[in-house]
Amino acid sequence: MDERLRAVLCLLLILLAAGSGGLADAADLKNTIRNLYGGQGILVEPLPLPFPSQEARFQASSLQGLDQLNSQLTSAIGVPSFNSSVTGFTFDVERGVPVRTTESLGPLLTERATTLGAGKLDLTFSYTRVNFTKLQGKNLKDLELVFLRDDANGNGIRDTSGPFSFESDVIRARLNVDLTEDIFALIATYGLTREWDVGLVVPVTHVRLIATAHAAIFDQFGNPGGTKFGDILIHRFGPNSSQPDASGGGEETGLGDIILRTKYNFLRGHDNVIPDLAFLVELKLPTGSEERLLGTGGTNLTGILVASKTYAQWFTPHVNLGYEIDTKDTRESAIRYALGLDARVLPELTIAAGLIGRAKPDGTGTGDHIVDLSLGVKWNPVKSLILRTNVQIPLDKNSGLRADFIPTVGIEYIF
Amino acid sequence: MPILTGRVALLLSIVWLLVAAASLPLPGEAANVVALKSADVDVYNDALDGFKSVAGRAQVSEYDMEGDLQRGRRFLARLKSGPKPDLIFAIGIWALQVVIEEIRDIPVVFAMVLNPSAVIGPEPRNITGASMNVPIEQQIALLKKTSPHVRRIGAVYDPSKTGFLVKQAERIARDQGVRLLAKAIVSPKDSFAALDAMQGEIDALWILPDVTVLAPESVQYMLLFAFRNKIALLGLSENQARMGALFGLSFGSGVDIGSQAGEMANEILSGRRAEEIPFTTARKLKLTVNLKTAGKLGLQIPKEILDRADVVIR
Repeated sequence: MDERLRAVLCLLLILLAAGSGGLADAADLKNTIRNLYGGQGILVEPLPLPFPSQEARFQASSLQGLDQLNSQLTSAIGVPSFNSSVTGFTFDVERGVPVRTTESLGPLLTERATTLGAGKLDLTFSYTRVNFTKLQGKNLKDLELVFLRDDANGNGIRDTSGPFSFESDVIRARLNVDLTEDIFALIATYGLTREWDVGLVVPVTHVRLIATAHAAIFDQFGNPGGTKFGDILIHRFGPNSSQPDASGGGEETGLGDIILRTKYNFLRGHDNVIPDLAFLVELKLPTGSEERLLGTGGTNLTGILVASKTYAQWFTPHVNLGYEIDTKDTRESAIRYALGLDARVLPELTIAAGLIGRAKPDGTGTGDHIVDLSLGVKWNPVKSLILRTNVQIPLDKNSGLRADFIPTVGIEYIF
Repeated sequence: MPILTGRVALLLSIVWLLVAAASLPLPGEAANVVALKSADVDVYNDALDGFKSVAGRAQVSEYDMEGDLQRGRRFLARLKSGPKPDLIFAIGIWALQVVIEEIRDIPVVFAMVLNPSAVIGPEPRNITGASMNVPIEQQIALLKKTSPHVRRIGAVYDPSKTGFLVKQAERIARDQGVRLLAKAIVSPKDSFAALDAMQGEIDALWILPDVTVLAPESVQYMLLFAFRNKIALLGLSENQARMGALFGLSFGSGVDIGSQAGEMANEILSGRRAEEIPFTTARKLKLTVNLKTAGKLGLQIPKEILDRADVVIR
């Protein structure tokens, strides 16, 4: 059987296997934070008669706070971008021979204008580990939410003195969020013609989200326990209230959002100055369960203009600029840009570096502009086999949901 | 007896002709051509396109060696074990190398090979093709046209790589009324002394398609030498012109070289023997002129050259 046909059949089998995993029962991992404290917010212990009940006074505030954090976390878990590989030859006019170019990018980096070549099939299997550590610059292991209570006497303010000074009591919840993603991706690229590639990315994702919280009540001066009426604490946890300690979450594995991609290299080798140009279109499909945090739940369409040029047959800078439309939530639509280079430092070894950025013009305030540094190495030990590794380092950890670094390893074979 | 011998000879001739005719594709029957490509590069694909556009009668099957000589050898071994094609089209030097090693009884046409004589050797083989060499006549003529003072053209070369080319060039230069002063080297570092020995002796310098000469340090020294001595330097590519050579002259079209090979294939498939067809050089050329360099050398480039230039660096 033809090697390429075999490879395609393997790919289809993997797709089927991954797809069947993705259709399993959907747990509500997405609402882990929201569902802490039972999903109804924090209720305090009802006061004994004749005092009016205060049990639901923190409910709205806590629900809102938990909701907000939940949204911030889950909307920021995106699908990493994957580049298609470009390996092959350039032609040395002076010597009259092809020159092997392990022209590479890191697996999560930018694109080059050149394509794979007619009839070529590139299969890459990669593994990426994302251990999120920061949300908007705050440590995920020590997040603090402060819930305010509502107005009791109807005067429109939280009294800080007098009989209603208990209105200024607060609940502080400290959260420890353990959020990791393991992404196993199969990336296939096929050269339809010399200038036109099509491909797809099939990610199978394992997500772990475990959240624990401890809530405590303080008065306006920061004293634990809150305001007392005589010996009675106005706000307290008890057998009939929410419990101060809560936890939730779990792990999910399944098919992530499949990406279909095509690249057309409309200008190549024009002269020694004008770069090679290509247009890349990506369609991200909502194949991953949003509830299980395996996908974003929306369809995204991206168009990117790619420019690159190889100098002295070993050094290739490249620039990408495009726009990604999030059809589910247009506020998540983003300008995508990248500036990178790769250099063939040895005949079989290529290093790659780049800046990769994403800016949301109408963003929600979480991760509206993120920039990562990506460093990668490709090694071509034997013909057609390439080993690749890459690390993505967030340059600004105060924006969005971020990891300290994101390592990727991969193996690639060209048929 | 002589009559009998004559009849036997006639009979044998007829049998030979029948066998030869049987080995040719029948009229209307598509000839089976295997195209072996050294690697997947644009110019090779262009050459294949050019070949197909001309060799219309042929059914062309393609195989890409992907730059791997072993892969090419394995493919040819498989090819030999099955029905033999009518012709092999070898694209690029690596394909030609493995075909020379493996194939004896199938006619071969090559394309996009630089200095094919050095690859094939002097022994007559059932091989012909379209090289990517630029005709020597045109290179010498270009340097001559640059200035009427150009009477002596210098070059360095490695006899093991381009000795045959220099012999041809010496003859052609003589025919054009100029003298070729060629200094032999065996390693790139020899080029420094070879060039220094030509100081004041030459009016123009010519970079030959010779891998020993094309070492970066040699090319750099030739550029420096040309600037110091204010003489024209003819390079092999646009790239060398951009580096500072006055001219870069290279083949202009992979498609056209493929077409040349296709024309040869048609002749062979019509019954002509490959060794009867001489190798060709590139018909379409790409000329780059660096006017910045011309200014520094104090040279006025004739309009005739500028009109012909494909790229002018200003």
